[in-house]
Amino acid sequence: MKRILGVALGILTAIGGFVDIGDLVTNAVVGSRFGMSLVWVVAVGVVGICLFANMSGRVAAASGRATFEVIRERLGPRAGLANLSASFLINLMTVTAEIGGVALALQLASSVHYLLWIPVAALAVWLVVWRVKFSIMENVTGLLGLTLIVFAVALFLLKPDWGNLAGQALAPAVPDEETASSYWYYAIALFGAAMTPYEVFFFSSGAVEEGWSIKDLIQSRINVLVGFPLGGVLSVAIAGCAAVVLLPAGIAVTSLSQVILPVAEGAGKLGLAFVLIGLVAATFGAALETTLSSGYTLAQFFGWSWGKFRRPAQAARFHLSMIITLLIGIAVLSTGVDPVLITEYSVVFSAIALPLTYLPILIVANDPQYMGKHVNGRPVNVLAMIYLVIILAASLAAIPLMIVTGAGS
Amino acid sequence: MKLVPVPPIAGRTLDAQLHLLDRQALDNDGVPVTTVDDLELSGPEPGTEIPEGTPAPVITALLTGPVLGTRIFGGRPPSSRLIRIPWKDVADVGVVIKLGVSGDSLDADWVERWIRDKIIARIPGGRHDPR
Repeated sequence: MKRILGVALGILTAIGGFVDIGDLVTNAVVGSRFGMSLVWVVAVGVVGICLFANMSGRVAAASGRATFEVIRERLGPRAGLANLSASFLINLMTVTAEIGGVALALQLASSVHYLLWIPVAALAVWLVVWRVKFSIMENVTGLLGLTLIVFAVALFLLKPDWGNLAGQALAPAVPDEETASSYWYYAIALFGAAMTPYEVFFFSSGAVEEGWSIKDLIQSRINVLVGFPLGGVLSVAIAGCAAVVLLPAGIAVTSLSQVILPVAEGAGKLGLAFVLIGLVAATFGAALETTLSSGYTLAQFFGWSWGKFRRPAQAARFHLSMIITLLIGIAVLSTGVDPVLITEYSVVFSAIALPLTYLPILIVANDPQYMGKHVNGRPVNVLAMIYLVIILAASLAAIPLMIVTGAGS
Repeated sequence: MKLVPVPPIAGRTLDAQLHLLDRQALDNDGVPVTTVDDLELSGPEPGTEIPEGTPAPVITALLTGPVLGTRIFGGRPPSSRLIRIPWKDVADVGVVIKLGVSGDSLDADWVERWIRDKIIARIPGGRHDPR
């Protein structure tokens, strides 16, 4: 019974934890401009994150080594440092976007300007990172994030023309008023949002934090293979709501209030209450994950003591680096730069950096010295190689497309 | 010219590049100390004539700290600036390098100790055990 509960809890947490500000904004933007015609990208991204999250979890459980230790060992100090710089900067951008997202969500709930919420949000993130137990942190934010299911509920209540939606999803075509290059630009953004590298840093470090052994792998596999696809369904529901309400009205999403507009229309005040809780929980949970990831990457590259399972004093540099990360995030946001804009850029830059994270994991997952008999099987390797090609193509195409489309505008 | 065959070696063969450099070092409590940033070898200085019969160089210490910069950007730090973990403190070499001593006794951990004592431990809850 306890086991079943554990599995259920893990799955629910994975669903709630899947969606972050990047998924929220990108899916809503895509839905409002391209309808359901990019749903296939979410599917591709979800399979990819399942594949690599599972692999990095297995590496962590079999060898006790988290992702960035492995990246440095395999790439050496030079390429490792280049990788660290890129990953850390993108992660910093994501931290900033998530904290901005928490503040914007609180603004929607309270009508108090978001700039006033930013220090509050950042302080709250720090307090949790500083004090709260890892498993409690994960479960509470994940479960509260589940309230985002209201997007799916709202989609039903809006009584859309299901045949039309399915048609858009199954026979994707570029809408008349959009160009092919902006279609592909948003395809990459959506892919980057689904596969953000921090999820892998966080997942593998979390496996070490919770002291996973090979025996716990089955549970983690169920969490990932059931939870992430359901999280993907949530993403599609967000896009669906935007496609039903905003696309016909000609509203292209540029703010968080437009993201939740369809929920208000479909599910009324109660739906709005749920979606606000969900927004705060999802962005807050992701802010925690990205803040921790910034500490994890630095500590693992330089070999510092790290982990929330230790007293802060026993992981001093780890905790200091997270405090500095949060302060930088506050400083950037206090210039008044639009968090939604940061989010849109952060998902594309995530897509650019994807090969840096996923290639070393794939190499180590095949190394018997680390993995013993738990090395990748052949089907996993074939699939991973296919994904590596997709990831590389997305990464190489991102910057040219960003220039051609003027960042999608 | 015929090369003398490599003499048989007792015990395990370690590849410095593969098994030592950039590996995580843990102290005797399993707490991470540092990543191995470089190695220090005994024996003849590079570039000098090596007389016959000179014993082969041995690893004298694992190095850490700013020496990492020299591996990335080149150059050689003065010997007095190196932060060493003596090779005799190494207990085991596996996927991680285990040291037989406590991290608190090592020079390599001074930055960690400084940040702990001056900043982190002074913030309320800094010594709170999360478990």
